[in-house]
Amino acid sequence: MLSVNAFSLTLDGKTLIKDLSFEIADGQVLSIMGPSGIGKSSLLHFLSGSLSPNLTTTGEAFLNNQALHTKSTQERKVGLLQQMPLLFPHMSIIENLLFAIPADIKKSARIDMAQNALEKLGIPDKANALPKDLSGGQQARAALLRTLLSQPDFLLLDEPFSKLDPALRRDVRTFVLSEIQKANIPALLVTHDPEDAKAMEGDCLELGVKSPFE
Amino acid sequence: MPLKHAKWITGIISLLLVFAIGLIGTLLPAFAYFPPLGEYDLSLSPWRDLFTQGEFYASLKLTLITGIAAPLLALWFALSLLAWGYQRPFFRKVEALLSPILAIPHAAIAIGLLFLLSPSGWLVRLFSPWLTGFDRPPNWITVQDPYGVSLILALVIKEMPYLLFVMLATMKSIKARESLQVGQALGYSRFTLWRKVLIPQLYPIIRLPIFIVIAFSLTVVDLALVIGPNTPSTLAVTLLRWFNDPDLSMRLMASAGAVTLMLVIVVVLAGWELSHLLFSRLTRAERSNGKRFGLTDSVLRLGVVLGLLALLNAFVALALLPIWSLTRRWRFPDALPSQWTWDNIERATPLLMELTSNTLTIALVATLMACAISLVMLETKRHNMTASNSSKPHVFDWLIYVPILLPQIGFLFGLHVLLIYLNLNGDLCAIIALHLMYVLPYVYLTLKGPYLAYEEEYLLQANRLNHRPWRNYVLVKIAMLKPAILTAFAIGFSVSIAQYLPTLIAGEGRYSTLTTEAVAQAASGDRKQVGSMAMLQAFFPIMVFWLAQFIPPRWTRWRLVLKNLFSRRNTECSV
Repeated sequence: MLSVNAFSLTLDGKTLIKDLSFEIADGQVLSIMGPSGIGKSSLLHFLSGSLSPNLTTTGEAFLNNQALHTKSTQERKVGLLQQMPLLFPHMSIIENLLFAIPADIKKSARIDMAQNALEKLGIPDKANALPKDLSGGQQARAALLRTLLSQPDFLLLDEPFSKLDPALRRDVRTFVLSEIQKANIPALLVTHDPEDAKAMEGDCLELGVKSPFE
Repeated sequence: MPLKHAKWITGIISLLLVFAIGLIGTLLPAFAYFPPLGEYDLSLSPWRDLFTQGEFYASLKLTLITGIAAPLLALWFALSLLAWGYQRPFFRKVEALLSPILAIPHAAIAIGLLFLLSPSGWLVRLFSPWLTGFDRPPNWITVQDPYGVSLILALVIKEMPYLLFVMLATMKSIKARESLQVGQALGYSRFTLWRKVLIPQLYPIIRLPIFIVIAFSLTVVDLALVIGPNTPSTLAVTLLRWFNDPDLSMRLMASAGAVTLMLVIVVVLAGWELSHLLFSRLTRAERSNGKRFGLTDSVLRLGVVLGLLALLNAFVALALLPIWSLTRRWRFPDALPSQWTWDNIERATPLLMELTSNTLTIALVATLMACAISLVMLETKRHNMTASNSSKPHVFDWLIYVPILLPQIGFLFGLHVLLIYLNLNGDLCAIIALHLMYVLPYVYLTLKGPYLAYEEEYLLQANRLNHRPWRNYVLVKIAMLKPAILTAFAIGFSVSIAQYLPTLIAGEGRYSTLTTEAVAQAASGDRKQVGSMAMLQAFFPIMVFWLAQFIPPRWTRWRLVLKNLFSRRNTECSV
C-alpha cells in the first residue's frame, strides 16, 4: 500500500499542486491525468527521490506505513518506467534483464529468472539480440520486465505508452497491468491519454481541473 | 561518476595548470632574474642584448612572413575547397581522408615534402632528364629557402585540413544546406552564396581554431627545423638555439626573445581581428547589392585549384616515406628506386625498436591520463550544470587553451627551470607530464560535446535497477560513450606522437622518440633511415585512428560472440 498525504508543490512561488492525498493498494494502478506543466512528473520525482532543487514540496509518503519521503533514492526500492525504454544499447536483452536482478540471488536462479522473462516476452530465442533488434512494443515490455526483475516495492509509470503506435498500445497496456498484478505492488501512472487510465482498471485523479476565474 | 568533492578536484587541477604554465620561468629571466645562474638583480640588459642582435630582426621578419602567410593561405584554400565541394559526393571521400591527414605528425609531412621538393627530390626526378635535361640534381634552393616559402607550404598542408575539419563540423549549426537552397533558388551562384552568406556566418564560430593556427604558425619549431630557412631561421628556431647555447647567459636574451614572441602573437592576433573588422565593413554593402555572380568568385575558384594541389602534395609526400625506407639503390634521375630491400629497416631495427617503445610509452600514458582527467572534469561540469541549471563556462574551459596558444618555446624553457628545481629534469615522468599538458586540451575538447550530450537517464535508470554507482558508471555510461572516448584517445595519441620540443626539453636528450630522432636526422641526408622513422611516426597515429573508428560499432557484437563461444550457459553480465 502506497499512500501520499497532503502533497503540495510550489515552483518559483506559484502553487501547482495543493494538498493532494491518495492511496494505492497492492496490485492496483492509480492513474493521474492533467495538462502539461501541472506537476505530474514532479510528483513522480518526489516519490522516487530525484526532485530538482528549484521545486519546493511539502507532504508525506508512506509505503506499507513506513515513511518514504525521508529515505534516500536507493533505499526506496522504486521502479520507474519512462517514455524511452532506456534498455542499454550495448548489452544483449538477457544482459539487460540480468543487470536488474539483485546480485544476492544465486547465479543459476538469476539465469532462470531472466529466461523466464524472455518467455513472457515471447522471444526466448532472442536472448543474445541487442535492444535495437526488438520492435518498439517488445522494447517497452522488456523495459517493464527489467524494472520488475529489480524487485521494486512500488512502481512509477511516466507516460510509458506515449511513444508506441496506437495498435501496439493496447497490447502493451494489458501486458503491463497483468504484470503489475502478478508482482502485487502499488503502481502510479502519469498520462495524457484517458484510454491509458481506463485500461489500468483503477482509480483516476485529474489534476488542475479548475475554473479559469479562480 | 559519484563524485563528492567535485569543486575541490577542479580547483586543484586548475591550480596545477596555472603553476605549470611556467610563465614565471620565462618572464623573470627576461629581466635578468635567474637564480640558477646567480642572477638576482632585475635589469633590462637581456632586452638591450636582444635589440642589438641583427639576427633577431631577420628572424622576426621571417616569423612574421611565414606566420601570417600560412594561416591566410590555409584559410583561403580551406574556405574555397569547402565552398566548392560541400555536399558533392566526391567531397565525402575527401572528408573521410581528413582525419588521417590530421593524425599524421607534422614532422613526418615535412620530411615527406623534403623528399618531394628538394633539388634531388621526386618532383625533379619525375621531370628529368626528359624535360629538364638534368642528369644530376640542380643547384637550386627549393626547400629551406631563405624566404620560408617551403615552410609556408608545409604549414598550409598541415593547417588546411584542420580548418576544413573544423568548418565541416559547423555546417549544421549555420544551416548551410538550407541557405544554399534558398540562395540558389534566388539565382545566386554557389561561390557568391558562400562569399556573401555563409562565410560571414562561419567566421565567428571558427575564430578560436584560426587563432590556434596563427599561434602555431608563428611559433612552430619542428617543422621549421626540417623545412624552414636557416641562418637566419624563424624566431622560434633562433630562440631554441640561444636557449641551448653553451654560453648560459644567452638564456637571458633568449627569454627576452620568448617574451617578444608572445607579444608578437598578441599583436598579430589583434591585427588579424582588426583587418577582419575592416574587411567585413568594406564588403558589407557589396553583400546586399543583388549581384548573383562576381569577379571575386574567381578568388575562391583559384583557391580550390591551389588547395587541391596542396592536398595532392601531402599525399605524394607521404607515399614517398615508405618508398625511401625500402630503397637500396635510387640514382638521381630515376623516377623509382632501381633496387628494393628490407635491409634499411632491418639495420635500423634496434634503434627503431627503442624509439618506438619510448614513443608509445609516453603517448599511451599521457593520453590515458588525459582521458581520465577529462572524464573527471566533464563529470564535474555536468554536475555543476545540473545543480545550478546554467551552462556558464568554467575557469577550466578557458585555462585549457593556454598551453595551445602560448608559444612552446620560452614557455617550455620556463618549465625546464621548474623541473630542475624539482630534480625531475631528464626524467620520463617529466616528459609524460609535459606531453599531458598538450594532449589534455585536445582530448578534453573532443570529449566535451558527446559527454555532455549523454542521455543521463540511462545511468539513473541503471542505479534504480541496481544501486552500484561506480560499477554502473563504468559499465553503462563509459561503455556507451566508447566511440567518443576512443576518438578522443586517438586524437590525444596523435598529438603526443607529434610532440617535439616537450620531449626534447624535459628529456634533455636522454629519451629520444621517433619524432625527435626524425627531426634531428632529417638534415643528415640518410633518407633511407629518416624515411623509416617518419613512416613509423605516421603509421601509429593512422593505425590508432582507424582502430578508433573500426572497433566501437563492432565491439558489442564481438563481445557477445566471444562470450557465447566460451560458455553456453554462463550469461553473467559484463561489458
